[in-house]
Amino acid sequence: MRLKLRKLMDHALTAGGYLAIGGMALFLLWVLVPVFSKGFGAYVFRGTVEHQRMMLGEFGRGDLDRLRAELAEVWRAREPVYQAVAAFERELDAMPAARRKALKPAFREVREGVSVLLGPEPGVPLPALTRRLYGQTRWEKAREKADDILFEETWEYSDAGSRRVLVPRAPQFEGTALAPVFTCLERDLAAMLRPRITVYPRFLTDRSIDAHFFGGIGPEVLGTLYLSLGAMLVAVPLGIVAAVYFQEYAKEGPGVAFLRSCVNTLAGVPSVVFGLFGLAFFINTLRVSPGKSVLAGALTLALLVLPTVIRASEEAIAAVPRAFKEGAMALGAGRFRTVATVILPAALPGILTGIVISMGRAAGETAPIIFTAAVSIGQMVNPSEVLSQPTPALSWNLYNLCTEHEAVEELRHVQFGMAATLVLIVLALNLAAILLRARVARRLKG
Amino acid sequence: MRQNVLMSVVLGISVMAAHAQDKLVMDGSTTVGPIAKAFAETYMRQNPGVNITVSESGSGNGAKALLNGTCDIANLSRHLKESEKKAMSEKGVRPVAHVVAFDALPVIVHPSNRVKGLTLDQIRDIYTGKITNWKEVGGGDQRIVVISRDTNSGTFETFKELVLGNDSKIVASAEYTGSNGGVRQRVQMTKGAIGYAGPGFVDRSVKALEVNGVVPSAESVIAKQYPISRELFMFTNGEPAADSLAAKLLGMSRSEKGREIIEEIGYVPVPEK
Amino acid sequence: MLLSPGARLRRRLAELAGRGVLCGVTSVAALAVLAIIFFIAGDAVPFFKQTGASEFFLSPEWYPAHQPPRFGAAAIFAGSALVTAAAVLLAVPLGLFAALCMSDVLPFGVRQILKPVIEMLAAIPSVVYGFFALTVVAPLMQNAGSWLPGQFEIASGVNALTASLILGVMALPTIVSVSEDALQAAGRELREGSYALGATRAETLFKVVIPASVSGLFSAVLLGVMRAMGETMVVWMASGNAAQIPQPWYNLLQPVRTLTATIAGDMGEADQMTGSAHYHVLFAMGLCLLLVSFACNLAGEWIVARQRKRLRGG
Repeated sequence: MRLKLRKLMDHALTAGGYLAIGGMALFLLWVLVPVFSKGFGAYVFRGTVEHQRMMLGEFGRGDLDRLRAELAEVWRAREPVYQAVAAFERELDAMPAARRKALKPAFREVREGVSVLLGPEPGVPLPALTRRLYGQTRWEKAREKADDILFEETWEYSDAGSRRVLVPRAPQFEGTALAPVFTCLERDLAAMLRPRITVYPRFLTDRSIDAHFFGGIGPEVLGTLYLSLGAMLVAVPLGIVAAVYFQEYAKEGPGVAFLRSCVNTLAGVPSVVFGLFGLAFFINTLRVSPGKSVLAGALTLALLVLPTVIRASEEAIAAVPRAFKEGAMALGAGRFRTVATVILPAALPGILTGIVISMGRAAGETAPIIFTAAVSIGQMVNPSEVLSQPTPALSWNLYNLCTEHEAVEELRHVQFGMAATLVLIVLALNLAAILLRARVARRLKG
Repeated sequence: MRQNVLMSVVLGISVMAAHAQDKLVMDGSTTVGPIAKAFAETYMRQNPGVNITVSESGSGNGAKALLNGTCDIANLSRHLKESEKKAMSEKGVRPVAHVVAFDALPVIVHPSNRVKGLTLDQIRDIYTGKITNWKEVGGGDQRIVVISRDTNSGTFETFKELVLGNDSKIVASAEYTGSNGGVRQRVQMTKGAIGYAGPGFVDRSVKALEVNGVVPSAESVIAKQYPISRELFMFTNGEPAADSLAAKLLGMSRSEKGREIIEEIGYVPVPEK
Repeated sequence: MLLSPGARLRRRLAELAGRGVLCGVTSVAALAVLAIIFFIAGDAVPFFKQTGASEFFLSPEWYPAHQPPRFGAAAIFAGSALVTAAAVLLAVPLGLFAALCMSDVLPFGVRQILKPVIEMLAAIPSVVYGFFALTVVAPLMQNAGSWLPGQFEIASGVNALTASLILGVMALPTIVSVSEDALQAAGRELREGSYALGATRAETLFKVVIPASVSGLFSAVLLGVMRAMGETMVVWMASGNAAQIPQPWYNLLQPVRTLTATIAGDMGEADQMTGSAHYHVLFAMGLCLLLVSFACNLAGEWIVARQRKRLRGG
């Protein structure tokens, strides 16, 4: 009997273990699958003719003649809608005051909706904001906007709670000049916008237009690159030197133990405290730059990743077989020459692994750069200006775009695009590190 | 030949020197942020080679940046505080206020909330915790989730000054977010929420309430009927020179195009006198 | 190769100089942490001098912009503690089971594949987790209130539970890899001896292996705690940021505010020139965070040292 119980517990443990692992894998999928699939939608999506107009207008890319031919057809499909709007405006002026008062707000919404969906009416002075110069560039968003025109969202309030009700607008305007708008939108939307599969790989490198409404995430990607590279430029020499010192030169004693302790402690400091320190020390005390800058951010990030670099380098150096060192010394090489010409090259793959992982960490961190480097809008920073210019960065701008921005819902695809790009960069770096580590293991096995 | 080379060198240097001047840093309020960003973009489009960066870390941070000289224009959605003015005069910074737009601060709730309007007193009671359920003010039986801006915000200061009064404390269970966009997002997501955010952030996903029976709109702001309205500022250190980048950017708020931008974003442009 | 005395002296000097330079550079790297302590403490102490420590630690009234300002951070400390504790409570059993499975149940090949997968989970940036928490978990949590039985009124989708869940997932990979290393370090002989005596796998693991690696497991938990406590973006975006102590204290369904989110969110008001208490109180919070992480580090090092002494037979 007891045996059965024991066996049961054994199976329970196995089951529990698999469940835990399965749960973790599932969660990883739950997070990554939407990020990647919707992020992919920032690069490949069903775009409309407005997207092509925007590309031509803002970036000068595209085939003008083919676009013109297409636009001629598109305008033909849209004409009834614009004419209906113009005609209804005249009709509105001629209406009795009561009816006009009833219909005017709804008409304003419809007209606004048409402008947002298809772009500004021909002949009307162009709006000032770039985002209003073009209609919807993505097909699924266009469908949403079309629904916004066709249906009015109202709420039915009752004691049991509130219910969202979609009331079609068409009946309100039946018999007026505006009626064709609704039938045309329902029937001919595809002809008005001509959706097609659009591949936009330059999303990665284009600058953003009008607070990310159009364009890409180039400044952010570049900023992340600058910050992580800059951090490594500072952390790698410091880290390797420190690792060499700890492994090869240091004599164990209270001083060295203290230094090791310090490095371990640095590893445990929370990331926001690094940000505080970066602001208080690099910007306010040392004044490395007159305000936020890539330099200050990179220095702060360097401190963050330094312990990792030191640890990884130490492990790599320790893993080099003693025979190498002894052989070199037997040949008469001094300690420095041994280290420089024998040990470091042998430890290089391991050190590189640590560097690559740290770069991934630096690219993904947000808290240290909030006060030292990140801005929400900026041009791509020139390499000559990194010492004094702040920069957008993927990590912080993702936060900014999904909480602080004025049109969060409109830009979901950009947020997912940023998230996917950031995760891809970090995962690619980590994958490279894993492959490197496998190569090191194989080499050391002989 | 030598003269040509000299000329091109001089031209080159002056071009580079001119280039070195074309930078502007703006920092501050998330309310004024959309206006600043739109102005910056429009200007950069018309004048390539200029780099204007905009940070939105809150009115308090904008004032501090102006004080420390780390920005050229500070966007604020409130007046400078006494402590900030004192610090600036100690440091030799002379802040000059430029009114960029007017703003009616809407009080927003989730669209499923059947309450249409509240009085100023009711809003105050909700925020100080005296009223905790929507049914006390004509809504359904639902706990009120109070959303406020963090203390870094000019929007918060305005709300405190005009609605709460300087003595009241916001209820401890109030949730704080760091930006207008954050408030809008919280209210949109939470059925029982109430919050306040700049009009540029009010869209169809939230509902703006009438306050004391007045609907927030451009007309009610200009007519001074809407009780929670304020000016939006851009501060500079001293009056900027007439042809400097800062002056041009500030002048946009009075230009035709700038007015359109402000209106399109949802604020009220300064009326033409 | 024999050297002249002069050359030998030169070489000695060169080596000493080299060692000195290396030591110097290493010290710079190591002393960074001392600089951090110095600057953070330097800006935190004025707060304690100006306002005193009792209100800061004991009062839950956090109104820094009020006239007169109140800097009672008890609710914020409670928030950090609650969220960290809940995250660790979630991550430790799960992580332990996963580590047990990886070290003793799964075949070697699967384990080799799984280890990198876990590292990938750890590498995902925290802002992406926060984005996920805000866009997916919070709405789910809000709607969950409607189909869960009666007493759970989830008024707000961003609350301590959302934040703890995500923090737990973020701490998991750390706990799993360090635990797994500790379990592996117990050694085959121990396990084989236990099996030879007729124990099942579960009994071996729970009665022999885990007790043998308990100090490594404790280190894993400590590292998990430090990760959860120091996390900023997820709590800033998904915990609600309400400076209150939930009623009752274990009610995770209410929004809370953590130290890290307060620092990140309030830093803008900080005005160094006027020496405002608000600026210094944020550094005081930073100092507390630092001190707690130091304590965790020290505890970890003490455990490792004790384990080493025990293994050596001392």
